[in-house]
Amino acid sequence: MEIKKTAMAGTLESSDIQIMLSQGSNGLEFDLVSDVAKQFGKAIQATITDVLNTYDIHDAKVKVVDKGALDMVVKARAITVVQRALDMADEPDWKVI
Amino acid sequence: MNIFLKGQSTDLSAVLLQREKRSHYQNQLEQRYPNKVVISFKLNIPGPIKNNDYLARIFQTGWRVLLSQLTGQVIEHSRMENALTTGPEAFLVVAGDLSQLKQLTIKFEDDFPLGRLFDVDLMAGKDEKYQLSRQDLGFAPRTCLICDQEAKSCIKAQRHSLMDAYQVINGLYANYYQENFYLFNWGKATVINAALAALLDEVTVTPKPGLVDPASNGAHQDMTAFTFIDSSLALRPYFVRAFELGQNFQGMDLTILFEQVRQAGIRAEQAMYLATKGVNTHKGLIFSLGIMVAALAQVTKNGPSRADRLRQIIQAMTANLLTVDLQKGLANQEDLTAGQQQYQRYQLTGIRGEAAQAFPMVFELALPFLGQASGSDNQRYLDTLMLIAGQLADSTLIKRAGSPAILAKMQAWSAEYFALGGSQRESGRTFLANLDQDFIKRNLSLGGAADTLVLTIFLARLQGVV
Repeated sequence: MEIKKTAMAGTLESSDIQIMLSQGSNGLEFDLVSDVAKQFGKAIQATITDVLNTYDIHDAKVKVVDKGALDMVVKARAITVVQRALDMADEPDWKVI
Repeated sequence: MNIFLKGQSTDLSAVLLQREKRSHYQNQLEQRYPNKVVISFKLNIPGPIKNNDYLARIFQTGWRVLLSQLTGQVIEHSRMENALTTGPEAFLVVAGDLSQLKQLTIKFEDDFPLGRLFDVDLMAGKDEKYQLSRQDLGFAPRTCLICDQEAKSCIKAQRHSLMDAYQVINGLYANYYQENFYLFNWGKATVINAALAALLDEVTVTPKPGLVDPASNGAHQDMTAFTFIDSSLALRPYFVRAFELGQNFQGMDLTILFEQVRQAGIRAEQAMYLATKGVNTHKGLIFSLGIMVAALAQVTKNGPSRADRLRQIIQAMTANLLTVDLQKGLANQEDLTAGQQQYQRYQLTGIRGEAAQAFPMVFELALPFLGQASGSDNQRYLDTLMLIAGQLADSTLIKRAGSPAILAKMQAWSAEYFALGGSQRESGRTFLANLDQDFIKRNLSLGGAADTLVLTIFLARLQGVV
């Protein structure tokens, strides 16, 4: 699948993760920042890669700022960012909040 | 106790969506206030229950403490959402230096006993650092709620069970609100406001048996709720003075502090009579609330303290009270107060006895009860008043009835009120309305219980439970 537009999901709050997904042509290029990167960097990357593969995405730039998110949060944010990048999900209309 | 038995469950997607909403709202605030610091303030509670009465109470308490820490800062904007199932949250926009404010909120998270249950995030759009971490300022990263390790690594590794976390949170709650509760070192303005608000709260509670409230002047022909408003405002300088006396007192002999407050109290009585055109509205409270304010200022002058320390101070201040006021020289005095007469006649020590024991009715009975009571503020206060009335040797009630035999009756009325469901049920409310009419007919009033309620509300406000 091809990424239609750059999308973002998640926040910089503690226990969350912010993922930005944009077009790429050189496999999955990760740029990961995490306070716990040493221990969990690989696991975070693997979880996101799994989700991207499920959607048949093999070329993308993936910018990740992790604030100590649980694996289920990483997965949920990854699914959301893919759906937004593929135009499968509308971003909520933040202005009305 | 388990504070997680009630409340609507939330789920991961709702929590994640709410985080994004917050983040976007923060961005909007940063654009609107480009040179200011945006503070996001929320609870950090694991598990599906993120809001209920208890958690809302913790949140309100934290909010008050945070605001008291920001005294002197210009607050440009604030928004609070209490009722979200994803947890209560609030925003503040403050004019100030990012790193200075961050230090302040780290202090809140680390030093305030419930601070560990909060997340306080600061952002400054224009600041090059944008968001400071604890480490940037030389502070250790936050430790886990359960063990001493870094919180992030415990969360990530899911090292602890939800039940373990609940146990710790329940313990923090019980420790703060029930046993020997924490006293923040509120500044003068906050304490004075709490004292005046407690006076006004009490007169507003309706219907109180025989007492003045907005609906009726009860069994008091010479005053209305308006008289109490005038009187309350006239006492402001006195509470300021009592606070300053307590804050500045240096000696070891706290009975001297008590004497200073009492001298100020005599002037306050004159101010009261002037404001009420000669009616005694708050004489008992000038005594008891004055002691409480001074003791609170004394015990928190160097930092936060605890309820048992406050009680020790009150006891030390009033160490000679019973001997001097009640036992020595009563026979020589021509005009004895109601309390002194009752000691002479019935050996009842009244408000002096309560003060000398550091207000057991307030600390041991009324305050824990009010903290747990549910319903509107009026309902919670009515139930607390009726609880106090059932147990207190109320000198106003005895004086009006002409005999302490009334106390046994009052105890029975209180028991009946609660048996009928108290303020929560129509039957309890009807009973109370009838009791009010009965008191008015018989010229009875619960003046002493009302004073105890004021002291209770004063502390409850500072504690953040109302």
